[in-house]
Amino acid sequence: MKQLTNKNNIGWLFVLISVVAITLFYFYPMFDAFLLSFQSGMGANLEYVGLNNWSRLLNDPTLRQALINTMTYLIIQVPLMIVLALFFSVILNDPDLKFRGFFRTAIFLPAVTSLVAYSVIFKYMFSIDGIVNQLLLNLNFISEPIAFISDPFWAKVVIILAITWRWTGYNMIFYLSALQNIDRSIYEAARIDGANSFQQFIQITIPMLKPIILFTTITSTIGTLQLFDEVVNITSGGPGIQTISISQYIYDLSFKYTPNFGYAATVSYVIVILVVILSIIQFKVAGEKE
Amino acid sequence: MKKIFTLLLILMLGVLAACGGDDTSNDDTGGSDSDNGTDSGETSDGVQSVTAWAWDPNFNIRALELANQAYDGDSEMYVEIIENAQDDIIQRLNAGLSSGTTQGMPNIVLIEDYRAQSFLQSYPDAFYPLTDYINPDDFAQYKVEATSFDGDIYGLPFDTGVSGLYVRTDYLEEAGYTVEDLSDITWKEYIEIGKEVKAATGKDMITLDPNDFGMVRMMLQSAGEWYFEEDGNTPALADNPALEEIFVLYKEMMDADIVKLNSDWSQFVSAFNSGDVATVPTGNWITPSVKAEASQSGNWAVLPLPRLEVDGAVNTSNLGGSSWYVLNQDGKELAAEFLANTFGSNEQFYTDLVTEIGALGTYIPGTQGEAFEQEDPFFGGQAIIQDFATWSEQIPPVNYGMHTYAVDDILKVEMQNYLNGADVGDVLDNAQSQAETQLR
Repeated sequence: MKQLTNKNNIGWLFVLISVVAITLFYFYPMFDAFLLSFQSGMGANLEYVGLNNWSRLLNDPTLRQALINTMTYLIIQVPLMIVLALFFSVILNDPDLKFRGFFRTAIFLPAVTSLVAYSVIFKYMFSIDGIVNQLLLNLNFISEPIAFISDPFWAKVVIILAITWRWTGYNMIFYLSALQNIDRSIYEAARIDGANSFQQFIQITIPMLKPIILFTTITSTIGTLQLFDEVVNITSGGPGIQTISISQYIYDLSFKYTPNFGYAATVSYVIVILVVILSIIQFKVAGEKE
Repeated sequence: MKKIFTLLLILMLGVLAACGGDDTSNDDTGGSDSDNGTDSGETSDGVQSVTAWAWDPNFNIRALELANQAYDGDSEMYVEIIENAQDDIIQRLNAGLSSGTTQGMPNIVLIEDYRAQSFLQSYPDAFYPLTDYINPDDFAQYKVEATSFDGDIYGLPFDTGVSGLYVRTDYLEEAGYTVEDLSDITWKEYIEIGKEVKAATGKDMITLDPNDFGMVRMMLQSAGEWYFEEDGNTPALADNPALEEIFVLYKEMMDADIVKLNSDWSQFVSAFNSGDVATVPTGNWITPSVKAEASQSGNWAVLPLPRLEVDGAVNTSNLGGSSWYVLNQDGKELAAEFLANTFGSNEQFYTDLVTEIGALGTYIPGTQGEAFEQEDPFFGGQAIIQDFATWSEQIPPVNYGMHTYAVDDILKVEMQNYLNGADVGDVLDNAQSQAETQLR
């Protein structure tokens, strides 16, 4: 009985439950998917093919395009969104601002809309006779409507705009809560030393927010790598495969084409590998000591 | 200590096992369709039932409801109809069949013809052959080809995707054409007329979605060709004169500026409902959508599809269409018997299909009768169902093969390259080599 009440052992018991659950529902499927990535075949006719799937990855033009697209979204969209979110949060943190609650809600609101619903609305806003084209035509910026959805360049722009609209408010909330934890006296001291607002922002706010910036960058990066709903609903990957994302390609391989679950599992491991690599880079760049 | 650990472990395993057990009984928590998870069932009064999945409440689900009424076989039975979106059906079938369980699977399922071979070959033994239940000669030949595998017929052919050219007679008149000028023409002539129509009326001739290759597939089948060789597996993209001609025509249409681009179904429908295009070449299933704009009544006619110039090309083709399949599990005999009794042999039932929902089947003995001669005032008194039925007999049969949609996506990319100035032979060679490496 004495042993039972041993704090350490009771602690392990509590941990055990989640360890077993995580092993069963996370690690086992991951391991199984890894085995699956060495098999190939149509539907239920899977057989081991060794490294064939992995070598097929190297000469797969669709995967290459999906990677290029995802990287394009990543490089343009994530910094854009982080900077915007920082900008909004600093403005909204100003105690002298009127209607702060209203603006906060307004900017956060997109984050609670359904992914599919907002994607469909964006698609219609940017269609040939959609509201955006009408507006540009009426303002005489363009002489004939732009085919946003069927043009490789503009389609990417629409996707980036859509994701930025949806997720900026979400990231802003993290910054807002972190800003509220920064001691006011630091700013006061800076002001006494003669620092202007911009210097305060660069020298105090950014360094104080660094862990949060790192966190939001990593979650946004992972989110972008898993991008699916927006692309499928706005452009369905088109024109051609000019906007396809890796997740959509996995879906296509499993459900749109004759199913090849083996190769689809291999492609999904590409995302895993990318997430690991990018996260390591971000930690290094941000200079975390641990 | 060890004992307690062991006890806890056993307890936890017990809980997990119970969760696993619960799964089966909770399977049918799909809201109203409470029988979602059952195979064939029997109600208390001895009437047996089988489940069926279909996707369109105005079309194939209505057809099943009619079939329930029409059924007059020996067994006391009915079909429980469950509506699922087509994409969901594909996903759930793939998930269920690949895991090897029949739990939660229906007895009867509707599958699009383009996907049929992929399912039949991906999951051997998952489907129940209907060879003993129906006579293949009763059905349009191209449907039998699409639903057969390895000498057996697995699908009961349902609707036809026989295509035609829907035209706005008022726009044609304005440009100085009669419907005869557009009957039995080639696509080349079609484009020339399109330019004139655009010049005279300012309306585009056609609406196209660059991301939907239905148009290309329809043109291809009219020449008796497909993306693959006869075996349905070897890509035939390079040195395919029909496909090359289609690419060239597609570009000519784009260059002639007679195309209104659309990017999804609703924009496609609104393009002709709003009167922005003069013609719509597509499958006969578009009729209800065309007629939805009642103010255009009397201004439409349906003509034979334009043809390609390659050898063997005809003025008719097919776009889409689906068939009923029976899953190889308990209740299969009952399900097959039901299909054979209704869709497989009942001529009166096919007449009802036409009159009640305008669905044109592919059961040849069921494509005659008064219902087909009905004149439609919307189309200026033309007996369009009769015309479609006649054209559907001439649709060239092709083997849709395993990878129609995968090749679609390869070709879409190459089409963009071609439109941007690449050589047509090069892009098709490219597509061929991509298809060869990807489709293994």
